[in-house]
Amino acid sequence: MLPTMKGRWLTRILLFLWIGVPITFIFSLMVAGPRSPVLPFVGWHYDILPFQILSLLLLVGLVLDPVYIYAQQFRWERDWPFAFQFFFSIVEFVIVLALVWWGALDFTRPPLDLHTPENYVIFVIHFACVFIPSFIAVLGFVQIFMIRWRFKGGEWGRM
Amino acid sequence: MIRFPILLDIYQRGEGPLKRVERISLPEVGDYAIGRSSENQIVLDTPEVSKRHAMLVVREDGIAVSDRGSTNRTFIGDIEVDTSPWDGALPVRIAQFEIHLVAQSAAGETRVNVPQDNATRALAAGPAASAPTPAPRGQSIEVALNAPDAPDEMRFPRNIFKSEIVSASDLKTSEYFAGECTYLSVGAGLGSFVWADHLRIFGVSKGDIRAIGDDVIPYANYQRLCRNSQIPPHERLRSNAISTPDNIWGFPGYASRETWKELKEFRFTGLKHILQVFGEASLAQSFTPRSGEVFKSIDSETQRIGWREMFVSGRVLGIRKTNDERYAVAYRVPEDQARGGVRERVMIGKFLHIATGYPATRFTDDLQAFKARFPEEARVFNAYENHEIVYRTVESKPGPTTVVVRGRGIVASRIIQRLFEARKKNSGITIVHQMRNPIGKNEGYRYKRAQRYVYNHIENQAFNWPKACWGGQILREVERATPEERAKIYEQIGGTTTADRRDWRNIIQLGIGDGWYKPVFGHFETLELVKTDQGAKIQMKLKARDSQPVVDVLADFVVDCTGLIGDITHSPCLRDLVETYKLPRNPAISGAKTGGISVTPDYEIPTLRNGSGRAYAAGQITLGGPQPAVDSFLGLQYAALRSVDHLAILGAPSVSLFGPLRSFSQWIKWCTNTAP
Repeated sequence: MLPTMKGRWLTRILLFLWIGVPITFIFSLMVAGPRSPVLPFVGWHYDILPFQILSLLLLVGLVLDPVYIYAQQFRWERDWPFAFQFFFSIVEFVIVLALVWWGALDFTRPPLDLHTPENYVIFVIHFACVFIPSFIAVLGFVQIFMIRWRFKGGEWGRM
Repeated sequence: MIRFPILLDIYQRGEGPLKRVERISLPEVGDYAIGRSSENQIVLDTPEVSKRHAMLVVREDGIAVSDRGSTNRTFIGDIEVDTSPWDGALPVRIAQFEIHLVAQSAAGETRVNVPQDNATRALAAGPAASAPTPAPRGQSIEVALNAPDAPDEMRFPRNIFKSEIVSASDLKTSEYFAGECTYLSVGAGLGSFVWADHLRIFGVSKGDIRAIGDDVIPYANYQRLCRNSQIPPHERLRSNAISTPDNIWGFPGYASRETWKELKEFRFTGLKHILQVFGEASLAQSFTPRSGEVFKSIDSETQRIGWREMFVSGRVLGIRKTNDERYAVAYRVPEDQARGGVRERVMIGKFLHIATGYPATRFTDDLQAFKARFPEEARVFNAYENHEIVYRTVESKPGPTTVVVRGRGIVASRIIQRLFEARKKNSGITIVHQMRNPIGKNEGYRYKRAQRYVYNHIENQAFNWPKACWGGQILREVERATPEERAKIYEQIGGTTTADRRDWRNIIQLGIGDGWYKPVFGHFETLELVKTDQGAKIQMKLKARDSQPVVDVLADFVVDCTGLIGDITHSPCLRDLVETYKLPRNPAISGAKTGGISVTPDYEIPTLRNGSGRAYAAGQITLGGPQPAVDSFLGLQYAALRSVDHLAILGAPSVSLFGPLRSFSQWIKWCTNTAP
């Protein structure tokens, strides 16, 4: 990958909108517990928690992107190998878990409900469900739809 | 069915482009022997050809080629054959000769004198080969062929291109007029092919596109350079997995295709290619595709987009603006397409694209001088010309042999690898690797905060430019820079590099340890031919940069790996274009004396704009402009995408804006090998 600063942010937002949000929506329907808010128009249970985690993940990523770009300046090729991307995505998720552990989401519900081992297992499964398709998309599927993306360092739009 | 007479063109490889030496005609069914001795019907008189080399078996229903146990074997294209049917799509290759089947459909119209017997003396190309011309290489030979006694302004295309802007109606009524089209590309090499591929996929029909060039195979010239510089089909190119000239999306890349191919055969080692892409360039060596696979993929795409119907065979001689906001391209077709004795043609196009590639191979002055003084001595070669004789000789004559390899680029690495392989047959081979100056561990080029890695006095880099030149930060920086700033950036990121390949490093390690690889620094002051106990040798005086004493080096061969000439004025057609319209040039980079044609980031040549007509350029001829890696597969694709996008915004006929849905549906068509 040969990202630019703007490209990193825009690709992140793109993946959030096109992969993260739909998958999280489906995931939230499936994991919704009895205490979850309800989607009254379809009568389904829907838990907002996975979506909060996803948003937190996006935020952490957007904040870390300038750090990655800075590190990239020291690489002669000015590239960012897929392996790095893979590794730091997991780092970002660990940071999100730590933030949740320290109470970043405590304002949303009673901490006793939030900090259960079952919840953390669900976070990991949810992350895997979002991360794997996103990573595969970056490996090549994005450019099937957006032919200019790879030349623009990850930015959307025309040349 | 075969139509008689069958016309065959015999080309000879030498310096520069292939040169046609003879046209022969096979009048009837029969067996035609090929070999060095005069008892053969087709005599190819050089030592590399065996006395009885091969046989062309001509029947009513087809032609077959069979090898008669020759030393250097017989090939169809790149494939060695014993006996094989020959459809003429690829030439028969025997030593430095190529035998091409002249298109059967056109054969009836030719005005070539059919010889009385099946001997090979005589014929049409004679004047071309022997005409004394001021410039010995490039395209000037062809120019002089046409009416050699006529004054310049009477010669084609000067006789019709009398001013900067020519009348389209005059051209259309002239005997030269060959047609008009909307999209017209000059060169018909990989640059033209990639541009046409984009146009086709963006919605243009094949009837609206024409590409004029020497060879219907878009990679023909590139393949020749690969073959000469020791990259046969199974060797890997210095190109990335996603640099796919056959696929505008870059997906699936060559790594996934290679993996898939191996997985289908239950070879799970194929997964390593995917892991390579995953880890490159920090955790794994960069993936690079095999040249043969790339060529095959391009073949398949040429079929899909109908390249053969867009291709026009001819050598472009001149380009002019027309008075109806278009462009006229003058070219000369091969003899078999002559019309009433006229080979000159003019085609008119609304949107012009120029991608003619490298004009010539480069010879450093000292080697050029040696070649001129000792024309009989096949001892000094440019790595891009055919120099098989070096390997054949050093392999077949055991004993001490010294080969000087000059230059520190990727080609030098590959030549050293080839010589290393030759050492298995002759352990007396010594490689003297000549480089201009030593480079210390921390003396690699610097650009901004980064520095290039140096190993064994050679700068290492996966590809010929830093990766971000193909689509990240550096590309952005270069595009936005002024020409002066660009020149500075190029100076900082340029220079000769090789790829950090483990096998190459091991060879150098081994060679230094065993003493058969010797790096030397400086330049050779004189090259002399001297007689020694072991026969004639080239004596060179090596002069280092500082005041060290001059050292004598005795060598059997010199292989110069310092490259190809990118100077556009070596092409008469481009020189004429630049002079006529005073086209601005880029600053000179990469050791070239002058820069390429200046283009906008959309690859338009602004000075050539003609009302609503537009002219674009791509490839090597734009060196030093908005993109560093102009002569790479991906660089050509980027240039094509930019210019076709530009056409779309201009509202050029049938070019879509190519949004996500069209992109996806076209990709599906690519996957299912359906025409766009």
